[in-house]
Amino acid sequence: MKLIGIVGTNAKQSYNRELLTYMQRHFKAQAELEILELTDVPLFNETADQAKYPIIQTFNDKIAAADGVVIATPEHNHSVPSALKSIIEWLSFNLHPFDGKPIMLVGASYSVQGSSRAQLHLRQILDAPGVNASVMPGSEFLLGRAQTTFDDHGDLKSAGTVAFLDSCFAKFMKFVTLVQAMAVPDAVSYQPGTYDVTAVGHNGNLPMSVTLSKNRIEDIQIDTSTETKGIAEVAFQRIPKAIIDGQTLAVDAISGASMTSHGVIDGVAEAIKAAGANPDDLKKRQAKTNAAPQNITDITTDVVVVGAGGAGLTAAAKVLQSGRNVLVVEKFPAVGGNTVRAGGPMNAADPDWQHQFDAIPGEKHTLTEITQIDEATIAPEYLADFRALKTQIKAYLKENTDQRGYLFDSTLLHRIQTYLGGKRTDLQGHEIYGQYDLVKVLTDHALESVKWLEKIGVEFDKTQVTMPVGAIWRRGHKPMGDQGFAYIKALQKFVTAHGGRILTETPVQSLTTTDGQVDGLIAKGPNDTKVIVHAKAVILASGGFAANTKMLQQYNTYWTAIDDDIKTTNSPAMTGDGIRLGTSVGADLVGMGFSQMMPVSDPETGELFSGLQVPPQNFVMVNQAGKRFVNEYGSRDELTQAAIDNGSLFYLIADDEIKKTAYNTTQAKLDAQVAAGTLYRADTLVDLAKQLQLDPAVLTKTIADYNSYVDAGEDPEFHKNAFDLKVAVAPFYATPRKPATHHTMGGLKIDTHAHVLNADGQVINGLYAAGEVAGGIHAGNRLGGNSLADIFTFGRIAATQALKDELTVTVD
Amino acid sequence: MKLVGLVGTNATTSTNRQLLQYMQQHFAATAQIEIAEIADLPAFNEPESHVAPDSIQALSDQIKAADGVIVATPEYDHSIPAALKSAIEWLSYTTRPLINKPVMIVGASNGALGTSRAQAHLRQILEAPELKALVMPNVEYLLGHSLQAFDDQGNLTDTDKATELANDMTAFLDFVTLTKKITPENKFMEKNQQFSWRQITDGRD
Ligand SMILES: Cc1cc2nc3c(=O)[nH]c(=O)nc-3n(C[C@H](O)[C@H](O)[C@H](O)COP(=O)(O)OP(=O)(O)OC[C@H]3O[C@@H](n4cnc5c(N)ncnc54)[C@H](O)[C@@H]3O)c2cc1C
Ligand SMILES: Cc1cc2nc3c(=O)[nH]c(=O)nc-3n(C[C@H](O)[C@H](O)[C@H](O)COP(=O)(O)O)c2cc1C
Ligand SMILES: Cc1cc2nc3c(=O)[nH]c(=O)nc-3n(C[C@H](O)[C@H](O)[C@H](O)COP(=O)(O)O)c2cc1C
Repeated sequence: MKLIGIVGTNAKQSYNRELLTYMQRHFKAQAELEILELTDVPLFNETADQAKYPIIQTFNDKIAAADGVVIATPEHNHSVPSALKSIIEWLSFNLHPFDGKPIMLVGASYSVQGSSRAQLHLRQILDAPGVNASVMPGSEFLLGRAQTTFDDHGDLKSAGTVAFLDSCFAKFMKFVTLVQAMAVPDAVSYQPGTYDVTAVGHNGNLPMSVTLSKNRIEDIQIDTSTETKGIAEVAFQRIPKAIIDGQTLAVDAISGASMTSHGVIDGVAEAIKAAGANPDDLKKRQAKTNAAPQNITDITTDVVVVGAGGAGLTAAAKVLQSGRNVLVVEKFPAVGGNTVRAGGPMNAADPDWQHQFDAIPGEKHTLTEITQIDEATIAPEYLADFRALKTQIKAYLKENTDQRGYLFDSTLLHRIQTYLGGKRTDLQGHEIYGQYDLVKVLTDHALESVKWLEKIGVEFDKTQVTMPVGAIWRRGHKPMGDQGFAYIKALQKFVTAHGGRILTETPVQSLTTTDGQVDGLIAKGPNDTKVIVHAKAVILASGGFAANTKMLQQYNTYWTAIDDDIKTTNSPAMTGDGIRLGTSVGADLVGMGFSQMMPVSDPETGELFSGLQVPPQNFVMVNQAGKRFVNEYGSRDELTQAAIDNGSLFYLIADDEIKKTAYNTTQAKLDAQVAAGTLYRADTLVDLAKQLQLDPAVLTKTIADYNSYVDAGEDPEFHKNAFDLKVAVAPFYATPRKPATHHTMGGLKIDTHAHVLNADGQVINGLYAAGEVAGGIHAGNRLGGNSLADIFTFGRIAATQALKDELTVTVD
Repeated sequence: MKLVGLVGTNATTSTNRQLLQYMQQHFAATAQIEIAEIADLPAFNEPESHVAPDSIQALSDQIKAADGVIVATPEYDHSIPAALKSAIEWLSYTTRPLINKPVMIVGASNGALGTSRAQAHLRQILEAPELKALVMPNVEYLLGHSLQAFDDQGNLTDTDKATELANDMTAFLDFVTLTKKITPENKFMEKNQQFSWRQITDGRD
């Protein structure tokens, strides 16, 4: 039996704590009693956002999962302490974990009556409708004169008291069973049949059909085609199974795919309602969790990789290609990390291939501009390459003066563009740019990575060369199939087919070392199991920290402000765990102050693909005063900083014609978003302004001015570089946007062999890092498409070097 | 006569605050009611030192200087809110300004019962030895369905409830005057201020 004990005070010294600790030991054979402390619980406040306090969620989850609760209350002023009252208020307001939960009250106090009045109050409190606990009647265990009752070992001195406590506890064990038996819900009966229902998933509608017999959910079939590949599958595999196995709707959502999970649960609920039963009855059916006693798994392998994203799976595949063992430990239920979210094309200069494509207007201009850059502004270590590049470009331009020419590229152009693109100055005046030796390795070996991936099973679309958003040049190799997932699908298949082991839902918590050599790690597996791994080398590939706002704020030196409630485009797993793991063994960090934002993200979810996303020449951005505030054609950084300066929230205004240029949506999706209030639509601008609570006169003037600039071909206010359509044809749309965190360029300091370095620049033996967890390459700004090039290149390098250093295997 | 009206909640909008504001206006002729808030007080955590934090000291001084206190309490889970309990714990643990202080309890809640259980608890709490307030007997002003109780000007819409409150207020003012006569510089005052739970059980009391 699993019980929770709550120490009813936040005082440093407490006899009630002593009493619970005694009970924990004394009743060990009968029950596992986990003690929760109120120390960090904030005072209840109706209007405070409880989501800000993870401790409340922890209390909720633990109590919900327990078979019963023991509350040990002191008596303060003839009643319960405010700290205890406070957690009960939190847990009776939006959350209700005490509902129907068996509770035993005990209390220690200085006076002879030993908290009797507090216990009486507590009974009445726990009986209130928002709490609705099942408090065991009678058996009032009062420990009066508490300061005289324990011996030096914390045991109760009096045999009589122990005997009484034993009898109260024995009664409680029976009481728990009794309450549980009462809680078994009444039999549910359905009108048998197959019900076609539509639930709302992450990307839109989720049509499903649910088959019910008289008293069972028999089958759940879902049309999964619209949900994101690589993210939603786990939910599709597990949620229907959990529902059918438990015949319950009380199943937990899958981290990272919670919207799809809730979609499936809602759909089944819908079907149950249609079949004449009450879905709430099934929500009350707890899927019985038989809390397993703590298990320990001990694994020995050659190389262990932290994180099953692009970099991690690449490293694992490379180890397997040398015939060595590898274990990949992944925090989330699904593999793939941010890599499955990526747009797909990876940068690699491949002139032979690119030469088949014609140059497009503007490219020669870009090249000419590069030749005109003042050499004094180029960092000395890049100068030789810069000059060599200029020679290449001049030869190309000369050869093609009279003709359109082919698409030019070279590893030198890739290198110099990565350098120039990453050059930024922060608020303190520090300039940063990509570390030469790392950028050289990246650009020299990116093409090799493309070829290597082809061998692994990734197929690229050779018929087109693309320029990923923010990439500056057309050198993107686009995989066939589902964008970033295409890589993960192939890599995962390769790793499992070659005997690599992947443990999911197993966040790595710490590294182990022996005499300064990293030789393994400790992780937390499903159901509280402890996983201990011994290995010759550890490769950190756990991604960045764009989903950890606190950490971003802590290191930020680039943005004037990062809102507490900023959203992210990233998987929620990106909390910088690898950076913490690295620094725990002395790793140095580099470039941590620089992060990349995606300026046009959904204010509620951080996603890019809600509302109307149109080409930037059709963006019309207005702030919360209804005025334009920036050149909409500016870079991501310019748009982001302007948004921050204008209170973050802004709107993209579009009309019916601009709507037609959107690349992300359908009319049905738009209608659903308007209905949900996440997108605004009106027949007149005045009406639109009213919906946005803007001054109609201001918005109307802003748009009239903008339209006149389009007519004149010039924007005297913000100098927008290119525009196309006016805002003229009803209905009008406003898509709310805010910057969201997108990429973290800083991270662990590595050398060109992916060794992690300490503050003295020395290699930390046994530790390697690859991918977004490492820093130094992208510096102030990562070019679109360069991250994928980075993770596949340094993922291979990390594995190669680990094999060489620690297992004396030489790879070609 | 000078009274302190203690708002028994840290919520930003509160019908108990409204009730006190109503009393402040309507009984201005007979009493000056200062409204005191608990929203910004720290959470009580039984620190080793028994010294009051500044905000508690300020509240305590305000209470000490007043002739009486009106506490308006909501009801949370059949008892008083943790925020109010916390404020009272601070006072009982540090400065103890409520000893022998006349107190009237009123309460507003959104439900029908209008804080009857919270008021009963508060009464017991205020009578604990380290508080020893003089809670006015026989009065239990319960304002149920409090969200509908006031009009736009902040007046009570139910005239019966308004009359009842006026009567209770008159009774309380008499109670304050009366208690002043019977507890001049109470001789137990000092002793009560030194009360400690640890002490009584050590048999030193
Ligand atoms: C929406 C979006 C679009 C993007 N588009 C592009 C693009 O078009 N081109 C491009 O080049 N880049 C793009 N990027 C950036 C790119 O996707 C990432 O930088 C890259 O995928 C990072 O790869 P990685 O292997 O380092 O980390 P990830 O792929 O993020 O993998 C890290 C893995 O480690 C796991 N992990 C974290 N902590 C732990 C722990 N404690 N224990 C165990 N496992 C852990 C995570 O769950 C995750 O699976 C985009 C990013 C986003 C968010
Ligand atoms: C603010 C305050 C008020 C107290 N009121 C009471 C009381 O009403 N009755 C009582 O028996 N003890 C009272 N005590 C003393 C407690 O009994 C004692 O601190 C506690 O119950 C002992 O249990 P603990 O060690 O778990 O805190 C009070 C203590 C504090 C700090
Ligand atoms: C955590 C919590 C518990 C509550 N429990 C009760 C209760 O037990 N009885 C009741 O009448 N109202 C209860 N309420 C509603 C209150 O009546 C209402 O919030 C408050 O008393 C109104 O006073 P106010 O306007 O001053 O906040 C509860 C409210 C909260 C936030």
